[in-house]
Amino acid sequence: MHGATLVATAVPSPYAATADALAVLVLLSEFGMLRAPLSRSQVRLYSFQSLVVTGLAAFVAADRHIPGLYAIAGISLVLKVVVIPAIVLRLLRDARVELVPSHRLGVASMVLLALVAAAFGIFVIGSMSVRSRSLPAPALGLAAAAILVSFLLVILRSDVVSQAIGFFSLENGVSVASLVVAAGLPLIVEVAFFFDLLVAVVVFGVLMRVHHERTRTLSTTVLDRLRG
Amino acid sequence: MAWDLMTLLVAPFVASVTCWWAPVVVGRAVSVAAGLLAFVLAVLLIPSGQAAALGGWVRVDPLSVVFLVAVAFLYLATMVFAVGYVRPAGDPDVAARYNRRLFAGLNLFCWAMVVAPLMSSLALLWVAIEVTTVISALLVAIDDTARATEAAWKYVLIASMGLGIALFATIVVYYAGSTVLGNGYELFVPQLLAHARAFPPQMVRLAFVLAVLGFGTKVGFVPVHTWLPDAHSEAPTPVSALLSGALLAVSFYAVLRYFQVAVRTVGGTFPRDVLLAFGIASLALAAFTLSAQRDLKRLLAYSSVEHMGILAIGMSFAAPIAVVGVLLQVLAHAAAKGTAFFGAGSVVRKFGTKDMARIRGGIGALPWSGPLFVLAVLALSAMPPFGIFRSEFLIVEGGLSDPHDAVVAILVVLVLLAFAGLSWFSTRIMMSPSTGPAAVARGEPSAWIVGAMLIGVVALVVLGVHPPGQLSDLLTRAAAELGVPR
Amino acid sequence: MLGGPELNPTAIQVLQVLTIVVFAPLVSGVIAHIEARLQGRRGPRVLQPYYDLAKLFRKETLVPEDAGWVFVLGPVVAFVCYLTVPMLIPVLTAYPLPLGYMGDILGGGFILALAGFSVALAAAETDAPYAQLGSSRAMTFGALIEPSILFITFTVALVTATDLPYFEAAAARASLGDVLRPAHLLAALAFFLVVLNDTGRIPVETHASTLELGMIDEARTLEHSGPLLALLRWGAAMKQLVLYVILINVFAAPWGLAGTRSAGAVLVAIPIFLGKAVGVGTLFAVIDNSFSKLRLFKITEFMAAAFLLAVLAVLVLFLGGG
Repeated sequence: MHGATLVATAVPSPYAATADALAVLVLLSEFGMLRAPLSRSQVRLYSFQSLVVTGLAAFVAADRHIPGLYAIAGISLVLKVVVIPAIVLRLLRDARVELVPSHRLGVASMVLLALVAAAFGIFVIGSMSVRSRSLPAPALGLAAAAILVSFLLVILRSDVVSQAIGFFSLENGVSVASLVVAAGLPLIVEVAFFFDLLVAVVVFGVLMRVHHERTRTLSTTVLDRLRG
Repeated sequence: MAWDLMTLLVAPFVASVTCWWAPVVVGRAVSVAAGLLAFVLAVLLIPSGQAAALGGWVRVDPLSVVFLVAVAFLYLATMVFAVGYVRPAGDPDVAARYNRRLFAGLNLFCWAMVVAPLMSSLALLWVAIEVTTVISALLVAIDDTARATEAAWKYVLIASMGLGIALFATIVVYYAGSTVLGNGYELFVPQLLAHARAFPPQMVRLAFVLAVLGFGTKVGFVPVHTWLPDAHSEAPTPVSALLSGALLAVSFYAVLRYFQVAVRTVGGTFPRDVLLAFGIASLALAAFTLSAQRDLKRLLAYSSVEHMGILAIGMSFAAPIAVVGVLLQVLAHAAAKGTAFFGAGSVVRKFGTKDMARIRGGIGALPWSGPLFVLAVLALSAMPPFGIFRSEFLIVEGGLSDPHDAVVAILVVLVLLAFAGLSWFSTRIMMSPSTGPAAVARGEPSAWIVGAMLIGVVALVVLGVHPPGQLSDLLTRAAAELGVPR
Repeated sequence: MLGGPELNPTAIQVLQVLTIVVFAPLVSGVIAHIEARLQGRRGPRVLQPYYDLAKLFRKETLVPEDAGWVFVLGPVVAFVCYLTVPMLIPVLTAYPLPLGYMGDILGGGFILALAGFSVALAAAETDAPYAQLGSSRAMTFGALIEPSILFITFTVALVTATDLPYFEAAAARASLGDVLRPAHLLAALAFFLVVLNDTGRIPVETHASTLELGMIDEARTLEHSGPLLALLRWGAAMKQLVLYVILINVFAAPWGLAGTRSAGAVLVAIPIFLGKAVGVGTLFAVIDNSFSKLRLFKITEFMAAAFLLAVLAVLVLFLGGG
């Protein structure tokens, strides 16, 4: 009998292990947003996720001596941890909506479906050989998984806040990916990305407000007029 | 310093700001002037097809000039049309505010679309395209009706998610490049093309698929096209025309840039197959849904999906002549779809509805824009002597010489099917005699609308009968940049 | 290193089992006391569980009319199972003891499942509706949590190339990277949720409730009395401590175990272990007081969370760096 012998996986360095654990935290908060019943807790989770991404950027900057990343971490801290959540929370306060029943599926089924999506992302990225000087490769797979789960967040939740948060957190997933494979991206390009995100946030905010004023709800189930 | 590029970079933005602050009349004049300026500058770039400024960050090559010309042409035509396009009567203050917003938004939208082909860095190209999304989403919502709000929300959400994927593609292609170019390079297209041969193929494949899926969301490839009919039908007509004729083309331009990199790294087969799959899916879905439409503007929107499918199929043929056809089709489609939407706008204004079951006798009611609309629809259906006939002919010819006979057969059958759906509806609403008491008075809503449509039809005839030599030359050079033998 | 005479390994193994048997009621008592304090009550004495057990052992056994021998045998089998499991896991020592390899994590899991099964069977023997309700619910949720336990086992197997609890603990002690690696953290967190479920804690169950409709584990013992009930109570306390051992000494904090066979080291390991167990118990008490119980039909969400964590642990390991 020649069975395959099970070999213990290599032990990552403390640096790699911490970085991966942070990336896992990004993915887990994505799952949290997917299932969170309250819009407000979704926004808080997004803020937390952004904080983790910011921390990851600062961590890479410190460990790999990429000073430009400090600037990015700073912008990210202001924009994604503070400003964006504040904008959305303000909208929620003005709308005076506490709970939007918007789960299209049961929570357990949603989580299992998202798990399948995450596994798909991890396997696709895992099948490629990525070498990175800034972060361990597994973080890229986790980022891809977070991106796919953010898609499910947009698809499976039918309220404007979930969908907007889904888009913002998609950007967080891409940020993690860019920390892995594109930590050296020129600063001007990164700043352009942030500016763009800010513009998108403003437009999302305007449209969310318009939607609420028009329909008196944050749910998107009323958006079914256009077909064919 | 290339002043023409710098002017293109700045003028539409200035026009937008002017429209926001100045009285409506001034805003209209400035808008048309800016459109004209952009078009003239773009046309002047045709002979050389090369220019660069700002340390290489702004740069055009023949490929980007083609798209620049398409965008600038529609910029001009749409601004002329928009002058005649007035909101139905109401409070003058409200109307003035609406006009200011509309013109400022249109100029800003055109600015983003003019800037996109000027960007040499793929990262900034992505930024420009994302800017077009957010601006146009606001423009779709500008009519402030329930339907417009719904369309705008779906559009901004789906397109942004797609562009999120495209951003991921940008990151991946940066990584692929950094294995050769080291960290900290600017993602300039020439840099990438020069070294693409040595990139890790798997990463480039991933980047290409992500880019087609991501930017393809804005191109309107099936199955990520779902926002497109809603946004096109609910937006104000000038915005619909720009969305369909220019925005889709600019997004397709981004796909072509990734195509350029991909064919150099992994060879032609894989990128072409990907585009072929999306192209067939788009063309097939559009061909079958065209005949099920009731809404005039939705009909034109699905026709856009159809044409984007044809572009993708054309790119999947290795023959350079097919690529020339694709690029010509970009120009011709901009003219034809813009004109068709202008005509649709005129019809909708006249009859007060988009429901094709309730529109009859268009030709009689609209002595000028009625026939011009019919011509534009015939042009869209690839009838001679218009530009799309020539371009689709070139694509088919390229497919036959590739040889890719089965695909060509599918292409021709689906195009004929689309032709049937499109022309059946539009000729019925225009040609059949008006019935019932709701007969409308004969007369044009505005001479500006007719003017805009005339510009478009003239361009279509020129492209179809005898394209200027320098333009043909430009298309050939651009196709040579794109084409790499299988 | 602490001195003292070398102990016979078999003696240490016996000591491990005795530690669990003797101190399980104490740990339960301390936790109940702390919990009462958290709620602003004075609470029972920490030795109260011992008094309860003594009282129950003195009482007569009542067997329902329709119940057969399974009703009597169930609690005994369960108790024996709880006596067996401590031999397989690192209670006091960092090195394996005699019979320590007779079962791996799956083996231990099976024995614990057998215990749960026999208690459920004993409850099902009666005609009492609440007891039957309890046993059917317990088996249902046991089945739902099972996939998470399997994936935790896979994680251990991928990390250590074995499925022995001693090795996972040793790996964690060996390097900082192994503690911080996401697979380890995720598996530990998933197991934490499993323990919450298996010890009948909020958000799955209100463990001190007297409301039968919300009961799961507690309902199973409603029909038992006298010494049989004493065995069930004692067994429940031992099960809780056994699960704490796995959580602490395999995943969360495998430090402070005896490294040598000297009597001093082994004896010092006992209070250290008890301290850690009370610490974990306090954490559970805090959770008990901070969250509310899930509705019965929402418990699947909790199971899904545990499953998510466990599967993610395996997935990041697949990526090669987890």
